[in-house]
Amino acid sequence: MFCDEVLDAIEAIAAGELTSDGRVADHLRSCPDCAAALEDARQLERMLQARPVPRTPSQFTSRTMAGVRRARWRSEQFLDIGFNFAIGTVILAVVTGVWMLMHRSGLTAVSNDAVDLFGTAFLTLARRIAPSLPLYAGAAALLVSALGIWWWAERDVSL
Amino acid sequence: MEAVNERELVERCRRGDEGAFQELVDRYKDLVFALIARTVQDRSRAEDLAQDVFLRIHRGLPYFRGEARLSTWIYRIVVNVCLQDRARPPAGRETVSLDDDGARGRVTVSTPDRRFGDLELRDRLEKAIGRLPAHYRLLVAAHYLQGVQYEDLADAMQLPLGTVKTHLYRAKQQLRRLLETELK
Repeated sequence: MFCDEVLDAIEAIAAGELTSDGRVADHLRSCPDCAAALEDARQLERMLQARPVPRTPSQFTSRTMAGVRRARWRSEQFLDIGFNFAIGTVILAVVTGVWMLMHRSGLTAVSNDAVDLFGTAFLTLARRIAPSLPLYAGAAALLVSALGIWWWAERDVSL
Repeated sequence: MEAVNERELVERCRRGDEGAFQELVDRYKDLVFALIARTVQDRSRAEDLAQDVFLRIHRGLPYFRGEARLSTWIYRIVVNVCLQDRARPPAGRETVSLDDDGARGRVTVSTPDRRFGDLELRDRLEKAIGRLPAHYRLLVAAHYLQGVQYEDLADAMQLPLGTVKTHLYRAKQQLRRLLETELK
């Protein structure tokens, strides 16, 4: 048996996953180099088995859960932004579509006239009301006072 | 962990039960942290990477179909995180050399101060492991952790069982070569 064949099996023998049969055992007895290699492999095996297990930091779980919450919050923020952007885009598309429809059908001209009409009516109403504003304000103050007194009296009775 | 409990825990996590996910972290944190800390050999980096593993688990749970065991899936994530971390080595990692300690001379376990000798040997072993290729380091780190089986490693690394054993033997051969001058 050659050294190379034995050396290929040295790690498995040292780990106890392979038993050295008669030929390998004979070679190991007669070859000091392979015997030394097996001893080194066994020593390495012992060192690897005795390697200390790193201890988890005490705050690991809480820090990890905080990280999970942060990641979830970021993900929700991202979703919110995406949702708002999508809604905004849809609204813009609808408004643009309606405007284009109205423009093509000549309704925009009609709606401009309607806006002008409402504007003029509002101004006329405001001009008519303006001289009587103090009167309306006095009446509103009287009404609020009356309601206040009524509320106060009711509250007192319920007590 | 029993398969039924595992499935139940995964289901609770999928429904957004934070307590269930915390339970999952508590169950696997020691294994995940030990595996990563042994591979990257830097505690603070190991903690960051272990947290990253659990974040990936949290993100991936909705897509976990339960075809593999939960532990196998977690090992696979650990393997990916460790290998990705190896893809961008931090300063200094590649400069570690066993030859740096050449001036201290040969140390054997028969040194009068045996404890000191053991510590030195352990230090050299860690340095030697640090010089192994990434997947060999992972194998060595995982194989000697209690509870990690060859089958789990094979599934996690998506390699045949025989290949995992061969890689582990080769890793140990390389380690032996690296330590040879120190151990003989």
